[in-house]
Amino acid sequence: MKRLADKVLKTYTFFIIMILYLPIAVLVVFSFNKVESIHRWGGFTLEWYKRLFTGQAFVSHSAALNVWEAFYNSIWVALVTGVISAILGVLLAYGISRFTFRGKDILEGLLYIPIIIPEIASSLSLLLFYIWIRFPLGGWSVVIGHTTFSISYCMVVIRTRFAGFDKSLEEAAKTLGADEIQTFLRITLPIIFPGILAAFLLTFTLSYDDFIKTAFTRGPGFLTLPILIWTWAKRGLISPELNALATLSLSVSITLTYLYAKLQK
Amino acid sequence: MNPILERIRRSNRLKLCAILSPPLIFLIIFFFFPFTFVFIYSLGMVDYYGNFVFRITLKYYSSFIQLKGITTIFMRTIYIATVTTVLCLILGYPVAYTIATKASERYKHTLMMLVIVPFWVSFLLRTYAIMLLLKPDGLLTNMINTVLLKLGIIKEPMMLLYTMKGVLIGMVYDYLPFMILPLYTSIEKLDKSLLEASYTLGANPIRTFINVTLPLTLPGIIAGSLLVFVPAIGEFVIPALLGGTESYLIGNLIWTYFLSGRNWWIGSAISTVFILFVLAVTLIYIKFMAKGGGIEF
Repeated sequence: MKRLADKVLKTYTFFIIMILYLPIAVLVVFSFNKVESIHRWGGFTLEWYKRLFTGQAFVSHSAALNVWEAFYNSIWVALVTGVISAILGVLLAYGISRFTFRGKDILEGLLYIPIIIPEIASSLSLLLFYIWIRFPLGGWSVVIGHTTFSISYCMVVIRTRFAGFDKSLEEAAKTLGADEIQTFLRITLPIIFPGILAAFLLTFTLSYDDFIKTAFTRGPGFLTLPILIWTWAKRGLISPELNALATLSLSVSITLTYLYAKLQK
Repeated sequence: MNPILERIRRSNRLKLCAILSPPLIFLIIFFFFPFTFVFIYSLGMVDYYGNFVFRITLKYYSSFIQLKGITTIFMRTIYIATVTTVLCLILGYPVAYTIATKASERYKHTLMMLVIVPFWVSFLLRTYAIMLLLKPDGLLTNMINTVLLKLGIIKEPMMLLYTMKGVLIGMVYDYLPFMILPLYTSIEKLDKSLLEASYTLGANPIRTFINVTLPLTLPGIIAGSLLVFVPAIGEFVIPALLGGTESYLIGNLIWTYFLSGRNWWIGSAISTVFILFVLAVTLIYIKFMAKGGGIEF
């Protein structure tokens, strides 16, 4: 009886995990499909990828959507967001893990808000704020927007590194005559570095994939990959080129996840 | 008090300030402070050109309340978010439970990785992927229709894309990992000897589950539910891509008012109400998170 129950549970779990991957798998497989269909397989082709890279994709619909420009923007926004968030995240994690002060619990709670609150709420308020201070909308307004939620994620990831770290090493360095800054640079930083890198990767992915914050804060004309994908998906036009673009975008995220998992081990 | 100790304490406080102020100032300016602007806009204290005007009016709130179908949209959003949360909990609990208690140590990590990966893949892409399967003759539509027709639950094939059902399928698919993650954490932490004690005392598996496992994993259930519910009430992408006019949610309404160039002031009034509601739910979440239902990435 118990054996049977276990078997049912295991089969069910396997089934659910399969379901989680099914849509993604279909998307990837059909980006190599020779015919423009998502149910009929017409043979393997790299045609759609070729079209993407040579700028022939989507031309039948509108010439204004430039895949390369979107890709370039997505990457630089993600890079800059990643670097800024990692730096600010280290400071937060260090302050919270190494000091005791009044109101620390409240501060920690507040730092979870950017993670939990629906993105649409913080996005529209940031847009109103930008308009109010007449901040020019474009790449930088998007970077700042992404950084607001990324800092919290970085803090959470880097903090776990601080938590599992032998403080006596820092004390030993100080006893041996190193000052505070030397201790931080020579001892603390190298030890928590994998955490910082992991935080950077997480932030990079979140920023690279972000749609809502970007849509609100980009202003007209600043294009990223998610915005491009959205524009096409919204029209209900399912094209093999879009599947190819989505697959490429997906492979970036999955590579980053893999690196992240390696670091967290 | 010892003056040296006092000086150390002071210098420590200074250091702490220096360390925490850059990230905190950033967050205050670009995250916490902007929320007040929504409120200021909703009271009509900003004119068309973005200049501050010294007057307070509630007319945007009254036009918001008088909007056609506004109650329906709010109720529908809460309804969809609740159904999504319940479905995720029912579907996700057995998965988290199986991985945490039945899988061997060797596979546990891999299995959890498999659950976490979709969390890293953009929402937009995952929604687009499910959109392919929900097309009239898409894979999922065919599967569901075949099963339901065979079981005699429906008489003719249903449409899924651009309907409320499509939105629900998309929501559950997108949010399920968010539910499994905290559930897994809390089930994993569960002291297994308590279950054995329950068996020894004569309780059967079902009673043990209801009286021991479920109450002890409650923090995980609450954390998971809020992690699904809160983003779900602000959801915009899923109803926009998978739904039709009958599945218009608060998120879509806000989007229309802000990005399709409608009225920002009414949009702000809607958003203020929405944000206050979300904050209330979030505060409950933070309260429970302190009790051990935290999230890890």
